[in-house]
Amino acid sequence: MKGAWILARKDFRSYFHSWTGVLLAVFFLVIAGLFFCLLVLNYARFSFEASKYPQEVIQSLGLTRFVYTSFFLNMAMILIFLVPLISMRAFSEEKKQQTLELLYTYPFSDFDIVWGKFWGMLQFFSFLLLPTAVYLGWIYFLGGRLDGGQVALGYVGFILLAASYLSLGLFVSALSENQVVSAVVTFGVLIVFWILDWVAGFADGLWAHFFSALSPLAHYRDFTLGILDFSHTVYFVFFQLYFLFLALRVIEARHWKTS
Amino acid sequence: MDSMKKAHVVAPDAPVRVRVESISKRFGTLTAIEGVSFEVRQGEVLGFLGPNGAGKTTTVRILTGFFPPSEGTVWIDGRALFESPKEIKRQIGYLPEVVPLYTDMKVSEFLDFAAAAKGVPRKFKKTKLKEIVNRCGLETVQNRLVGQLSKGFRQRVGLAQALVGDPKVLILDEPTSGLDPKQIIEIRGLIRELGRERTLILSSHILPEVSMVCDRILIMNKGRVVASGTSEELEASLKDTQEIYIVMGERHRKDEALGFLRALVGVEKVSVIDERSDQVSLSLTVSKNQDLRPAISRLFVSREIPLLEIRSGRLSLEEIFLKIVVSEAALQEDKAKPEGEKTEPEKGTGAS
Repeated sequence: MKGAWILARKDFRSYFHSWTGVLLAVFFLVIAGLFFCLLVLNYARFSFEASKYPQEVIQSLGLTRFVYTSFFLNMAMILIFLVPLISMRAFSEEKKQQTLELLYTYPFSDFDIVWGKFWGMLQFFSFLLLPTAVYLGWIYFLGGRLDGGQVALGYVGFILLAASYLSLGLFVSALSENQVVSAVVTFGVLIVFWILDWVAGFADGLWAHFFSALSPLAHYRDFTLGILDFSHTVYFVFFQLYFLFLALRVIEARHWKTS
Repeated sequence: MDSMKKAHVVAPDAPVRVRVESISKRFGTLTAIEGVSFEVRQGEVLGFLGPNGAGKTTTVRILTGFFPPSEGTVWIDGRALFESPKEIKRQIGYLPEVVPLYTDMKVSEFLDFAAAAKGVPRKFKKTKLKEIVNRCGLETVQNRLVGQLSKGFRQRVGLAQALVGDPKVLILDEPTSGLDPKQIIEIRGLIRELGRERTLILSSHILPEVSMVCDRILIMNKGRVVASGTSEELEASLKDTQEIYIVMGERHRKDEALGFLRALVGVEKVSVIDERSDQVSLSLTVSKNQDLRPAISRLFVSREIPLLEIRSGRLSLEEIFLKIVVSEAALQEDKAKPEGEKTEPEKGTGAS
């Protein structure tokens, strides 16, 4: 486990050795900031026009739900673009530089390597997310009162979703030596997962249940609404464990090709 | 070259650090190595020699825990490598053939990571790393990005990371490939120095390098060990016949000398190589395992013919290597002929 931590730290730092990490941070924060500003402006305009609406509508749309729920749902879309760019480096870069051979011969277990890579990416992602806490201060400064629990749950859900996508990206990256291939494939698979949510909307009966049970977005939505459902958390944890396990198998495969 | 040969002798009671018991490695239907066994003691430098595709890299990769053998066991310091790989890997420093480096890290950062990975205790880390940096001559480039370094420096960084954690066993795969002659000499000097205190395994296809640096040589071909021993032993075991060169004075007594030399037991052939002014150079072919030089010199002395020079002609290691590899190949072909098919040399397995 200590080995995984050492590797994670190295990987986290390596995002800042090249421009990749900085560019990703800029990309993410500009878009997140843009979304957030638009939502706040929208809310302001809505508030001015609020007098035209019946009282129930106004009360059902609190500030937190109007701004943060939409914000997190939109950011889920951004993840589909962001995650492949983060995860493509994980194994593909090490393979290209032949450093994976080095890691294999250092005192790391295969488990350490996969876990360390995953943690490294997660640390980097959390680092990207950190500046968005400023928004809370900004809202407060503007005089808005937020439902803290709902915002916190939104963040938890968002991190769980991102971690799931990253685990998938890690698995794909373990398969490919080429960063571009790794990014494109991850992107493609994430799009398929995104479409599952639509399909669930079109299907009916048992099929609708089936697709929404598979779709990460369907499980994510409750988090953004401030609903804590244990089954959603279990879904995301299993999603991650599943792809990490597959990645581990890919890494171990070098042991099997023996007979 | 001989003057550069190291003088140190491995103590016969030195502990065996690496024991390899008949390991084989197959990739699908392809056999990369077959039944390779050897031992390396503390303070010994073992050289793997063989043409490209002989299975050197495969063997080295098994030794470093990159992958396990299909059959056989590797014992490092008396413990089976693949039973507790994590601990044992700490005892091994490895420099792969293609030096793997994090090109976007600074040299110091990279070595820091290696130290953390190999579990060097924090309080020793600074002094230990400084020692390694000095030893590998990296003081001036510590704060530069690895990717900006020249090939020679990269090789040193690779060697430095292998040294981190004071491994008892050091494994270097083609450590001088791609370096210029000056760098090669420097790296070889460093390797010799390192070999004194630990167990060192060096793989190379460059003969002079192996004969210069290594105490013992293992010649591999087509995945098998075809010969092993010190370079002297290899020379001795491989000579079917030995040659003796003689330069004598008093040219007019040439026939007399030829007469008694031909009569000597063990001499198969005597031929005159050169005659000039008053000297004659002779070449004697002598059957194996006999040193006739004392007998010859006595004959010359008793007849009062001046003996100006006498030396045994040795096969160079290069000739031995070629001889082994070529005769092996011939043998293989003979074997393969009745089946009408020849086995392909390994390809694309990363074995070399």
